[in-house]
Amino acid sequence: MTGAVRAMIASRPRLGIMKFASCDGCQLTILDLEDQLLDLLTRFDLVEFAEASSYRSSGPFDVVLVEGSVSTPEQAEEIVRIRRETPLLVTIGACATAGGIQALRNWADHDAYRAAVYAHPEYVESLATSTPISDHVAVDGELRGCPIDPGQLLELLTALTVGRRPQLPDESVCLECKRRGTVCVLVTGSGPCLGPVTHTGCGALCPAYARGCYGCFGPREGANGASLATWFKRDGRTDADTARLFAGFTAYAPPFRSVIDSLGGPPIASDQGEDA
Amino acid sequence: MVIPSSVDPGFLPRAGLDRLLDLLTADGRRVIGPTISQGAVVYDEIHRAADLPSGWTADQAPGSYRLRSTGTDRQFDYAVGPTSWKHETFPPRVPLTIGRRVNGQVTFEDAVPVAPLVAFLGVRGCEIAALLTQDTVLARGPAVDRDYAARRAAALVIAVECVTPADTCFCTSMGTGPEVTAGFDLAMTELDDGFVVRAGSPAGERLLERLELSPADEARTSAARSAVAAARELMGDPVPTGGLPARLSAAAESPRWAEIAERCLACANCTLVCPTCFCTSVTQVSDLDGLEATAERTWDSCFTLGFSRVAGGNFRPRVQDRYRQWLTHKFATWWDQFGSSGCVGCGRCITWCPVGIDVRAELLAVAPPPTELSDATTQIIGVPGPERIEAVPGPTTPALLTAMTPLSDAVESPTYSRAFVAERRRETVDTVTIRFDTDDPDLLAGRPGQFVMAALPAFSAAPISVSRFHPDGLELTIRAAGAATRAMCGLRRGDSLGLRGPMGRGWPVDAAEGHDVVIVTGGIGLAPLRPLVDALFAERTRFREISLLYGARSPSDRLYVEELSELAARPDLDVGQIVDRAGPDWFGRVGVVTSLFDQRHLDGSKAVAFVCGPERMMTATVDVLRDRGVTDDRIFVTLERHMECGVGLCGHCQLGKAFVCRDGPVFSLAEMGPAFGREGL
Repeated sequence: MTGAVRAMIASRPRLGIMKFASCDGCQLTILDLEDQLLDLLTRFDLVEFAEASSYRSSGPFDVVLVEGSVSTPEQAEEIVRIRRETPLLVTIGACATAGGIQALRNWADHDAYRAAVYAHPEYVESLATSTPISDHVAVDGELRGCPIDPGQLLELLTALTVGRRPQLPDESVCLECKRRGTVCVLVTGSGPCLGPVTHTGCGALCPAYARGCYGCFGPREGANGASLATWFKRDGRTDADTARLFAGFTAYAPPFRSVIDSLGGPPIASDQGEDA
Repeated sequence: MVIPSSVDPGFLPRAGLDRLLDLLTADGRRVIGPTISQGAVVYDEIHRAADLPSGWTADQAPGSYRLRSTGTDRQFDYAVGPTSWKHETFPPRVPLTIGRRVNGQVTFEDAVPVAPLVAFLGVRGCEIAALLTQDTVLARGPAVDRDYAARRAAALVIAVECVTPADTCFCTSMGTGPEVTAGFDLAMTELDDGFVVRAGSPAGERLLERLELSPADEARTSAARSAVAAARELMGDPVPTGGLPARLSAAAESPRWAEIAERCLACANCTLVCPTCFCTSVTQVSDLDGLEATAERTWDSCFTLGFSRVAGGNFRPRVQDRYRQWLTHKFATWWDQFGSSGCVGCGRCITWCPVGIDVRAELLAVAPPPTELSDATTQIIGVPGPERIEAVPGPTTPALLTAMTPLSDAVESPTYSRAFVAERRRETVDTVTIRFDTDDPDLLAGRPGQFVMAALPAFSAAPISVSRFHPDGLELTIRAAGAATRAMCGLRRGDSLGLRGPMGRGWPVDAAEGHDVVIVTGGIGLAPLRPLVDALFAERTRFREISLLYGARSPSDRLYVEELSELAARPDLDVGQIVDRAGPDWFGRVGVVTSLFDQRHLDGSKAVAFVCGPERMMTATVDVLRDRGVTDDRIFVTLERHMECGVGLCGHCQLGKAFVCRDGPVFSLAEMGPAFGREGL
């Protein structure tokens, strides 16, 4: 922790919430903290919040939460500038931490997509890849998920005000399933589940509704995607099905990316799968 | 041991089950039993017999569980499912303490266990063994988990003998079933038209009398016996347990561990479905200000990377290290720690492994039995019931010494007492020594080498060695290695923090009597040795030559610099100092601490050594000491491991057969054997 961070514990840190290529769902999660919002405002000086106000501040900030991936040349420059001026930069959500669902284009022909979607592609300045913020600048912390979990967000902000390390474990989703008494959907055959290789933090939401985890929090520490993919194959799933499963909101995160690549890439346009 | 009952077995017709449930409810008990939910037989609250899984069983295989209809009205024709009774006796989250901090002053309040009366219906033989196993771990001392003890005492155990084992079951090999012989209040065996019921405790006898059953006739009791015997026959003896602990210890460096790690997801499912696994972590739940925080005991697992993390490193970074830790703990070192196997053969870890890793197959592959069955193995085959556990050969290595300084009569885990900052002195750029005033007699009675758990509300507690004892307080030398220790380093005079302890086993001062004493240490490792130096000087004539060899990264990384100068001036102490990198004012030696031995005469046959420092420094030092003829029983080291509870209940600091917090942190090399310096333990 830097001296600047320690200083902010005593004061009311200046907080900025910024957006890159994203759907704004993570920012909405912040707005959804209705019971805590006023409390948060007494502890943080909310200088800029893209989703809540069109006001843009020129800074400075003590803490910046960044939503979204880097998808355009402008964004690639912008994030470098923000990083330079920000003591503590935390990325929030699958787009900012893994490239997001839009990173599926990283496997595709960017120009062909652009031509197919836009009437005048020459006006669209975009990069061939959608990449996580951490591919461009160093980040001090990250909140995973599509969208982020409100509990984890509060934990981060609480830890910042108290001056302790946020409790954001890097273990599998399975531990949370077991703690809340959810029966393993993978073992009972209710569907494929990425929980064993996925970063915890959502509270094991999907399996509690009898459907497999689709990995929106991205790979956990030491994710052994290859072993899980091998098991799916033994269980009768096709490589394309398994690739589609991994090719979700965090497809471009390296441990998932390598599984997808080993299975022949994401079957994006080929067919419509139930779990796409 | 079978407890004879003065009440004869009775016959409970199937239709009478609701009467049993009514009696339990009338006694104020919540009844937990099997029911169908989420595609499985799980344990949940049962109100009527109709809630039971009538006509259901499950097909189980590695990584697979499928419910199947049996077409009968039998209610207990399944083998154990994903839940275990530990959900009730050892819930996933339990509050431990509530800490508050106002104007620099802390208070800690123990959470009061809430344990309403409950009845467990449908407990299998393997599950009774699991409850008894957790009893030993959590409620038989030296420290007691109060919440567990209260919940266990509030539970009535109604066993139902298993007559339909799954393909994943191996209770016969572990000697825990399918027969139910002890550890229950009532035991039932299911027949097509009802249950043979017998009592196993005074509470069970009273309940049986109130049921007013007709006696179970010979035909029925014999049918019940045959059904259970058939279940035993079906399972066979899939895991040869003869000499298993020794076989596993010998396989510590097997290439199989790395091979398993390619398949293992380290997802922790096996440990959380296991009915005996007891590892937990403490999580802090606080308000936004962190002024009030509840510390919660939370299910954790030795399979997570965070579990063995310490400031600046990790002792089990590889999945193969974690799998080996789990398997060898279950089947080998559990014997050393608790006198039984940690596995009860329920097979849950096999069924609920998402990639179907079968512990039976892995045991055979890692530690194959000798081709010819040993005497011990032949002896145990075919012996039913728990007697079998006693027949299984236990540990082959000597058990660790019992704690030299046991916790103060340790009927419960000690609680935090307040200590106040009396004096604060900066040692290095990131390390301070704080003298705390306390009137806690336990803390004041601590011994050199012991440590305390230090806590500030909202922060995780940190194990910190006592660096000096005073009549009215103690000193802690704290390095700001993480957020909690950084906050402690920032305490001001008059501020308070919570201390729990003293913990663990300290330096065996008496072992040095009449010997030369060599103290070798590096960096902050001098802190736990400082009280030892104090103790040696308090009775200087009991010991011969004393040497203190101290290495540090740089001159400014040394602790207690003035004290070291004073000590160096004493005629009855030889002080050697060395640094990795010299500074402008350093005229001393440069190099590693072991090179201080070069110019020193050391008669190994007369010396006792005390060593503390980074693990690499300790292994290098131990090599030199052994070269000079100091035998392993006279080399003492103190170890660092991740610690959360400090009393052997949370599982974090396990190292082979030891809990470092409780059995150490000081060990002789003779006690540690091959565990010293082994990677990934």
